[in-house]
Amino acid sequence: MSIIEVNNLSKQFSYYKKELGLKSSIKSLFHRELLYKQAVKDVSFTVEEGEIVGFLGPNGAGKTTTLKMLSGIIYPTGGSASVLGFKPWERKKNFKQQFAIVMGQKNQLWWDLPANESLQLNKCIYEVSDHDFAMTIGELTELLDVKDLLKVQVRKLSLGERMKMELIAALLHKPKVIFLDEPTIGLDILSQKNIRAFFKYYNQQNKVTIVLTSHYMNDIIDLCKRTIVINEGSVVYDDDLANINAMLEEKKIATVTLLNSVNKDDLLRYGKIKEHGELEFTLEMNKENSQQIIKSMLENLPIADFTLEDISIEEGIAALYQTR
Amino acid sequence: MSQIWKNTRRYAYIYFLFLKYSLISLMAYRINFVFGMLVELGYIVIKLTYVYIVFRVGENINGLTPYNVTLFVGTYIIMSGIYSALLFFNFIKLPELIRTGDLDMYITKPISLQFITTLKSIDISVAVPNIIGGVIMVAIGWNQSHIEVNAANVIGYVGYLILGVITTYSIFLIPQMLAFWTVKTTGLTDLSNSLFDFNQMPMTIYNRLLQRVGTFIIPVFLLTNYSPLFLLHGLSRLEMVWGIAAPFIFLILVRIFWNYALRHYTSASS
Repeated sequence: MSIIEVNNLSKQFSYYKKELGLKSSIKSLFHRELLYKQAVKDVSFTVEEGEIVGFLGPNGAGKTTTLKMLSGIIYPTGGSASVLGFKPWERKKNFKQQFAIVMGQKNQLWWDLPANESLQLNKCIYEVSDHDFAMTIGELTELLDVKDLLKVQVRKLSLGERMKMELIAALLHKPKVIFLDEPTIGLDILSQKNIRAFFKYYNQQNKVTIVLTSHYMNDIIDLCKRTIVINEGSVVYDDDLANINAMLEEKKIATVTLLNSVNKDDLLRYGKIKEHGELEFTLEMNKENSQQIIKSMLENLPIADFTLEDISIEEGIAALYQTR
Repeated sequence: MSQIWKNTRRYAYIYFLFLKYSLISLMAYRINFVFGMLVELGYIVIKLTYVYIVFRVGENINGLTPYNVTLFVGTYIIMSGIYSALLFFNFIKLPELIRTGDLDMYITKPISLQFITTLKSIDISVAVPNIIGGVIMVAIGWNQSHIEVNAANVIGYVGYLILGVITTYSIFLIPQMLAFWTVKTTGLTDLSNSLFDFNQMPMTIYNRLLQRVGTFIIPVFLLTNYSPLFLLHGLSRLEMVWGIAAPFIFLILVRIFWNYALRHYTSASS
């Protein structure tokens, strides 16, 4: 049995439409047009124990809503899900003691207190023994290099240091499943790198299952072999990150520099122009006949230089974001 | 049974940590702490004007002497302190937690969500002046009303005061829970807080219908009226039983309503 099983999970939100201006505000006191938004539509996937899965999608695609349903924060309007054998929204104590969610934009530490006080509170809430508490704190503060910051008021910590403390608070009870919702948002490159390295190590050591959402491609490339892309509430891709090109019909990208300018129409017959400058252009073409196209281009165009490469993962994902 | 005992100890220790952390947070802002106390002292002076008027007129109100009235006002001030210190700031924060989606993190904790969100913040600065002022007034009213200081009277008075705290918790939390649907509850909060002020004077000054409604339907008079009424032998047998049962009935109703309301939590977008 998979550690996470999601079947046709759906969530619909209702909201009110309001036109611009005071007049419409007064009108809305008496009558409001109720609208519905299908935030998540029949999402299905499974995650095996110890996997790190990237959960990608543009803003408003339904990633966070799905994670919130899987962590029991909100109820779904349809479908089913099982995490560690529990129905998340039943909010059983045993379930809560075995998973953690870290949201980059939300915090759980007391702002005016040193982090170690909040950790002490989490120890009691999660019923962690004194021995395990000391061991875990020692290990995590060492790994994240924040041992000396435990006694510093949280509001005095930098964003990166605060996120590290948030991670310690979330991992104190040794969760088996971790949902990470944009854990590196707003952090500098070095802090992002440190946090990625930490999760890589933590996953290998503890065989925890991680579902990660992030808008930073490096987070996904470094950590996740498998990626699920969600767009407008539906899953549009679920496979190894490396196979994203195959999904996009094996496209190739040619970047060409010309000796002198040519008519744009002369370029169109070789493929789809993605970028176009005075003497440089980028062309998307089918991988299957790319060699013939290049040969023909070299014969017919005044080419000074060219490169041919696969579509980058970023571009592949961006293309999936536009999938309807 | 041992599980219940273990859980009670766990919750009591967590509440102790809430108290400790709230105190540390308060002390971090000393000036704010001192001003908080001064503002509360100002409120006590305003409340004392009621007593001043009663003494100035010098007449009995529905059989209650000015010293008897002091007992009521003192109890009201003690309860104001307890409500403001332990509950008020948590209750007004609840709609904000719902509106901003900050409730998310609390929901994932293996602890009662109602416990953590409604009891987490404690503000001692508002309690100290009210409780000291209130206790002094009750002591004066008790003494001058020639009420015997014996175990039965003390237990009865303190017991109804504790039951009043439970009722206060229930009836002031309900309006805030509507935030699960309406998101903002400022209007309702103001309305419910003004109901609290019905206790500034003995309930006997109101007509019979209002007394019945305020006792059995929206039990505002159970908050602070029953303690002094017990001392003055003003409670019927039925009222004594109701005063003990009602807090628990309303607490159970609030619990049921809380669980129902929580199903309507939609969080906020990230």
